[in-house]
Amino acid sequence: MRVTESPVKLTERRKWPDCLEMRRLRYLLLVLVLGCNDGLQPATICDPSIGAVTGHVTFRGTEPDSTLGLYIVAYSTFPQSRTDLFNFLPFPPQALQVPQTGDSVSAYAMCLPNNQYHWVLAVWAKVGLNVGDTANADAHLMEAGYYRDPADTSKPGVVTVHSPGTSGIDFVLDFNNMHSVSYFFP
Amino acid sequence: MTSRLALAAALLIATPAIAQQAATTGTIVGTVRDSAGAPVAGAKVEAVGAAFTLTGIDGRFRLKDVPAGPARLHVDAFFYQPDSGVVTVPPGDSVVWDVTLHRRAIFIDGGVVVTADKRPESIENVAASVDVLSDTAIIRHAVITLDEAVNRVPGVQFVNGQVNIRGSSGFEQGLGARVLLLVDGVPMNEADRGGIDWDLVPVDDAERVEVVKGAGSSLYGSAALGGVVNIITRDIPEGIHGRVRFFGGGFANPPDSLWKFRSYTGTQGGGSLTGSFGTDQFRGALTVAGRHSDGYRQQDASDHLQVAGRGEWLPDPVTHVLFTGTWATHQYQVPLAFCGPNLCENMRGLAYQPFLVDTADSGNHTRSDHGYLTATITRTPDENTTWMGRASWLRTHFTDFQKAGNDFAVADRFGAEGRIVTTPTPGQTVTVGGELTGNQVASDIFGTHTQEQFAAYGEGERVVGKVRLTAGARTDFLADDGGGLSAVISPRLAAVVPSGLGIWRVSVGRGFRAASMGEKYPQVPVPPFRVVQDPSLKPETAWSGELGNTAVITPWLSTNAAIFYTKATDYISPELVADSIQFQNVSHARLAGLDLSVTASPFTPNLTTSLSYTYLDARELAHDTVPNRPLPFRPRHLLTLSADYVMGPASIGADFRYSSRFERVELYETDPRVAAKTLDLRAGWRLGAFDLRVLATNALNYVYTLAPRTLEPVATVTMTVTYVY
Repeated sequence: MRVTESPVKLTERRKWPDCLEMRRLRYLLLVLVLGCNDGLQPATICDPSIGAVTGHVTFRGTEPDSTLGLYIVAYSTFPQSRTDLFNFLPFPPQALQVPQTGDSVSAYAMCLPNNQYHWVLAVWAKVGLNVGDTANADAHLMEAGYYRDPADTSKPGVVTVHSPGTSGIDFVLDFNNMHSVSYFFP
Repeated sequence: MTSRLALAAALLIATPAIAQQAATTGTIVGTVRDSAGAPVAGAKVEAVGAAFTLTGIDGRFRLKDVPAGPARLHVDAFFYQPDSGVVTVPPGDSVVWDVTLHRRAIFIDGGVVVTADKRPESIENVAASVDVLSDTAIIRHAVITLDEAVNRVPGVQFVNGQVNIRGSSGFEQGLGARVLLLVDGVPMNEADRGGIDWDLVPVDDAERVEVVKGAGSSLYGSAALGGVVNIITRDIPEGIHGRVRFFGGGFANPPDSLWKFRSYTGTQGGGSLTGSFGTDQFRGALTVAGRHSDGYRQQDASDHLQVAGRGEWLPDPVTHVLFTGTWATHQYQVPLAFCGPNLCENMRGLAYQPFLVDTADSGNHTRSDHGYLTATITRTPDENTTWMGRASWLRTHFTDFQKAGNDFAVADRFGAEGRIVTTPTPGQTVTVGGELTGNQVASDIFGTHTQEQFAAYGEGERVVGKVRLTAGARTDFLADDGGGLSAVISPRLAAVVPSGLGIWRVSVGRGFRAASMGEKYPQVPVPPFRVVQDPSLKPETAWSGELGNTAVITPWLSTNAAIFYTKATDYISPELVADSIQFQNVSHARLAGLDLSVTASPFTPNLTTSLSYTYLDARELAHDTVPNRPLPFRPRHLLTLSADYVMGPASIGADFRYSSRFERVELYETDPRVAAKTLDLRAGWRLGAFDLRVLATNALNYVYTLAPRTLEPVATVTMTVTYVY
C-alpha cells in the first residue's frame, strides 16, 4: 500500500524590488553604517584649552636595571645651555610605561599648551637623580630618543600642538643608544 | 541444554504476544525532499501522539510501532514550511508517506507554547505576550551561548549579562533577577543570588526558548516579576543519532590604536558533541561541550566545560518519565571595572581606557561550577486529565580568586512540584498545583542561611463564545532560616478575544520577587564602600497590565503590538547609607511602554524582514527626599531591524539593534555613555546534514558600555559548522 501526499500550494510570485526600492535599501544601509560610527572614542586627560600630543614609542634594547623612570618632555625651542634643560613641558613630566604585553610599541599622550615644540624627546632617569642639580643630571639623565623631522631624520622634528591634540608623533626609544647632557652641552 | 529449553519456552510464550502487538501496529516509511527534489536531512517526522524520528542524509525515515489505523503525521525542518498529513497505518504492514517541503521565507516562531499557562496550547490562545526562539532561529544566529539568542528577542536587553524584559531588572551586578529562568519548566534561578547562569544548557541542546513578558507570578511565584524564560531541550528520537558542532573565530582589535592592549588578535573556539539512542521505551542522550575565549579586553579569558544528559522512559503510551542533568565548570578572568581617570598606571594619557583593567585587579579570576538534576513524570490517564510531578536540585558553587582574599558561595536549590490539568467540560480547562522550594547557602559573603517557599496555585480557563477567559491565583508562603511565614498572593485575570482586527489579548496580574539571600545578607567590602545586610528586606511586588493585538494584515505582513504598565511597590534597590551600601525596599517604580513588531516578506517570499520596537518609560517614583526620576540602566527606545534572504541552500541576513542612551546610571555617572548601535551580519550554507554559518557581530566595531565601566563586545567573527546524523 502506498500513499503519496503531494500538497499543492499556490504562492503568488511577487516582483523583485525595483531600482527605487534598491536605492532606498542602499540609503538605509548607509544611514546604519554612519549611525554605527559614533561609539565611544578615546578622550585625553588634557584640559580642553590645551592640546594633547599622542603617538607611539617603539622600544629597542634592554631597559637598564637602574631605571628610575622614563619621561616624555617637550621644548618650545631647542635648549641652548644646561640651564635651559629645565624649561621643558609638561611639568611634572609625562611618565612613559614600558609595555608589559611583550609588544615593543607603546602609545603615549602628553598635555601641552598650544604652541610649536622643536624638541620632543624621551628622557631616561637613573636611580639617584637629584632633581634640579645640573651636575647630577649629566650622570642621571639621558636622551633616549626623540621625534625626528620626517624630511631629515637627522634633525628633531617640529611638533605643532593645537587642541584637542596632535597625533602621530612617533619615535624610537633606544636603550642601547642614549645620550647624556654632555653629549649636547660638552 | 536447560537454558535452551528455557529459551524455547520463553519464545513459545512470547510469540503470541509479539504477534498480537504486530497485529495492532504498523510502520510508516518515506522520504522528505525539498521542492527541487533534494533530500532533506535532519527533518523531524512525527506520528502525533505515537512516535517521531529524524530523517537521514538521504531524507529517508522509518517510524515503527505506530498504532494501526489513521495516523496524523507532522514534519518540520530548518528553513522549510512544516507540513502534515494523515495516513492509514495497516496492522502488521507498512505505508509510505513521501513529503515535499517548501522553503519558507518568514521564520514563523510560534505554534504550540507551554510556558505561559503551564500547559501546551496554541500561541494564539495565550493572553500574555510570548516570543518563541526556535532552534532554527538559534542556529540561524549561530550563537555560542543561549543568552546571546535571548538578547535578540524584541523587548529584551542584557546589561552586562543581566537579563531585562521590558526593563525589568536594570543592572545590579547579577543579583536578584526579575526574570525567572526555567529549563524544561523547572525553575533554575540561583539559590543564593537569585541570578541566572545562562550556560546551564549547551546551546545545541536547546530545541526552543519561550519568552513570556510581564508578570508571571500567578503560576510561577517569585522572580517571575518581569517575565519568564523557558529553555526547552530537544526530544530524543528513536534510533542512533548524533550532532557535532564546532565553532571558531576572532575578536577585532580596538578601533583606535590608543586603546590597543595586546600584540595579538584574540580568538575563541569550541565545540559540542551529542550522541543519542532511543527505543520505543527508553531514550538517552549525552552532550559534551567546551569552549575557550581569549576575550576582547584585558583579563577577559574564559574556559568552559560541560556535560549534559537526558534520559526518557515511556513505560506506556500515556506516561513519560524524564531525567535531565548537567554539570558545567566555567573559569573566567574578572574585568570588574575598566580603567577610568587616574585609576590605572598605564593610562597613556587617556581619560579612560575601556580595554584595560587596573593592574591591582590583574590575576583575579572566578571558578563557577554549577549543575542540576531533575526528574519529571507526566501522565495522561485519560484525554481530559494530565498530571505531572517533578523534583529538582540545582547547585551553584563559585570562588572568586582575588589578591585581597578569596570569596566563595555554595548554594543549593531544591524544588518539587505537583500539578493537574483537567478539562472537565469542553472549552474549560483547570490547572491546579503546589510547589515547594528550599534554598540554602554557605558563603563568606552571604553567611549561612536557608530560605523556604511553599506555594499553591490554581487557574481556570473558560471559552465563552469566541472569548477565552482566564482567572487564577497563587499563594506563596515564605520563610527564612526556619522563621515565621509571610504570605504573598498573586492573582491574575486575562482574556483573549479574536476579532476582525486580529486577536486581542488583555491581562492584569500581580507579581512578586522575594529578596535573594545575596541581597538580604551580604557582608563584604567593596572599596571605598562596604555592602551590609538588611535581614528585614521584604518581597517587592508589582501590578502589571497589558493590552495586546496580533494581526495578519496580508499573507506576507503580520503585526504584534502591546501596551504595558507595571506599578512596582517596595522595589529593592541598592542604597548608599553613610559609607555603606545596603539593599532596601525604598523605592516605588513605574514601567510603562509599548512593544511593536512587524514581520513582512516583501518583494519576494525568499526575503523576510522584521521591525521590533519597544518604547519604555521606566521611572522611580518620588519618595523621601528623592524626586521622580528615571530608573537606572533602562533605555527609552529599543529597536531591532532584521532581514534574511534565502537562496536555495544559502542564506544571508543582518540585524541592526539600537538601544538609546541610558538616561540614568548609578556609579560613575559622569563617565561618557552613548546609545548602543550594533550591526550583525550572517551567512549560511546548508548542504545535506552539514550546516555552515558565518556570523559577524557588531560588525562595525562600535564601542559602547551599558553597565558602569564594563565594555560590551567588540566586532567578533565566528564560523560554525554543524553536522547532524
